[in-house]
Amino acid sequence: MLASVAGVIHPPAADPVLLREPRHRVSPRARLMWQVTALVEGAVTIGVLLLVALAVDAVEVRWWMIAVAVAAVLGWVAVVPQWRYAVHRWEVTATAVRTQTGWWAREQRIAPLSRIQTVDRAEGAVARLFGLATVTVTTASAAGALEIDGLDRRLADDLVAELTARADAVEGDAT
Amino acid sequence: MTQPPDGRPEPGPVVEGPGDWQRLDPRMLLVHPVQETVRLLPVLLGVLVAGTASGARGWQLLGLLVPVVLGLLRYVTTSYRVGGGRVELRRGLLERHVLSTPVDRVRTVDLTASPVHRLLGLTTVRVGTGTASTDEDERLDLDGLPAEVARRLREELLRAARAARPADPEHAGADDPFATGTPAPPAPPVVAFDPAWARFAPLTSTGLVVVAGLLGGTVQLLDALGGLRRLDAGSWADRVAGVPVLVAGAGLLLALAVASSVLAVSGYLVANWGFTLGHADRAWHLRRGLLTTRETSIDDARLAGVTLGEPLGLRLAGGGRLAAIVTGLGDGQESSSVLVPPAPRAVVGSAARAVLGVAAPVDVPLVRHGRAATRRRWTRALLPALLVTAACLLLATRSAWWLGPAVVAPLAAAALAADRARALGHALTDGYVVTRSGSLYRRRHVLAVGAVIGWNVRSTWFQRRAGLVTLVATTAGGRQSVAVPDVPEAAALALAARATPALVEPFLDRSPNRSPDRTPGPTGTATAGRP
Repeated sequence: MLASVAGVIHPPAADPVLLREPRHRVSPRARLMWQVTALVEGAVTIGVLLLVALAVDAVEVRWWMIAVAVAAVLGWVAVVPQWRYAVHRWEVTATAVRTQTGWWAREQRIAPLSRIQTVDRAEGAVARLFGLATVTVTTASAAGALEIDGLDRRLADDLVAELTARADAVEGDAT
Repeated sequence: MTQPPDGRPEPGPVVEGPGDWQRLDPRMLLVHPVQETVRLLPVLLGVLVAGTASGARGWQLLGLLVPVVLGLLRYVTTSYRVGGGRVELRRGLLERHVLSTPVDRVRTVDLTASPVHRLLGLTTVRVGTGTASTDEDERLDLDGLPAEVARRLREELLRAARAARPADPEHAGADDPFATGTPAPPAPPVVAFDPAWARFAPLTSTGLVVVAGLLGGTVQLLDALGGLRRLDAGSWADRVAGVPVLVAGAGLLLALAVASSVLAVSGYLVANWGFTLGHADRAWHLRRGLLTTRETSIDDARLAGVTLGEPLGLRLAGGGRLAAIVTGLGDGQESSSVLVPPAPRAVVGSAARAVLGVAAPVDVPLVRHGRAATRRRWTRALLPALLVTAACLLLATRSAWWLGPAVVAPLAAAALAADRARALGHALTDGYVVTRSGSLYRRRHVLAVGAVIGWNVRSTWFQRRAGLVTLVATTAGGRQSVAVPDVPEAAALALAARATPALVEPFLDRSPNRSPDRTPGPTGTATAGRP
């Protein structure tokens, strides 16, 4: 109705063409890493809150408060990493890199290999425990970095080598 | 980087051969002391007062000598050279700085002349490389060349930079009717200043911010005078007693509004007097300024698109402004990307058409985003407004004055929602991605397809439920991205696929019986709300 008022018609929506999912999931160990990280972070948060509450002495800490907090953390640990794992995907083709990340808010990113500026491989302390690495691909746009979190370390090495080789093959400053 | 092709003339007959360090113009010996005196004015005054008080005349003389000596030192310790494919600047007495940049990294060359410079026929050359550094010390400023030399240096730098770069992919401006390739005689400017434009100055967002600030100040002042407290009491007698306070407040407000308008108008005139935008030698050239003149150039090959900005105040008055999206020039260097200051809409439109070389991206009616996007605009505006209303109604039990905001909030939100919904739209025409959104600050971005690096497709859970996504085209200039907010997913991907088929087509899912919900949550309930 709005469209007809403006005199502009939407493109035919008979069979909407959508993006298919990127081919590869991240390593299943990533899910474990996210769960452990969430658990540790949640425990630390509750601990700090407890300490503050006891030190300030303004609020009387009751058992049900702690129970609610613990339940919230456990719920988060049970749902979010799993959800994230279901969403996170990546793909590299002959011409482009793609990622899909997030859980509540999701983001798909596509960048052509010809516009790659840097390929960065990072291993956090926690990621190293799980044998994982993060590969970040940047373009000339500050809004366009593609991050693949939770890749198997060896796979990450191969991916970096491949992406670097392909980016090198392109002339110009890729802006 | 690619090497410059053989036989390229060394940039700059301005300098005798590469490797010659040379001083800036000697007339800077007059400029520096003046600048240093102004900079050290508070200290000098202090010295002067202290000297008079203590009766020691010698100290005062010494105080006056300091800026002169500093200026002299600055002149003696600063030198530059252009040659060998590099621009280099050496300066500093105690802390030596040597700034050096390859000519092919030069993105902008700006000429600035303060009143003192102009009096002596000098100009400051600022060589912009698109660096992320904001350190004043790391700017490549050649402060003080004769205006003629500066202008020639700029031409040579821009030409050398262009020659040293590999052929750019098809960018905006390639189809520019003005781009003849040969240094043409200066064409008539596309935009020429009209002092009447200054009427738009108080209506820009900065003007509104000033007025809002003054309003806040006035209310506080009234409060301090006890006016509001008396009004809050709510009894008739008190309100009658409060009227003079109200009248005085309104008068004060009016005076402040007039004062801020005068300030805004004079600021606008000082900054934009004599504004011209013209095209010559494959670049757009801007000139403006009443006291301090500024000349900036934007290379055709780096012009990725334009943004037509219409803050609410300007829009209601029939005005707008135009900025360029310049590849390699970030958001922090906004002053270099202004194409037209606040001006009548017709002027802004014709400038945009001239800069793009085609009219359609500026004029074409946009594809609307449909009912789901409109509904989202309304919910997002009305929900917070209704919360405000609820809170105000609770407070209204204490003072009837709270009924005002309780009524106004939803009305303002509705107006905002309707206007924001009306703004949404996108198009792909003549090799440009066009998108428009916003109400308080409405922007129409026009980005050349060749300047689109990649795409981001964002969606929150609420957006997915409504079948909408936010499509973002990433680029290397301006705000680094251009967003098409709340567009139906299929329309978003159709836009991306038509703009950059080679990039997007391989990832499209054309199988007829694909499951409608492609990324289920962990237990399948996460997206169950979707029809």
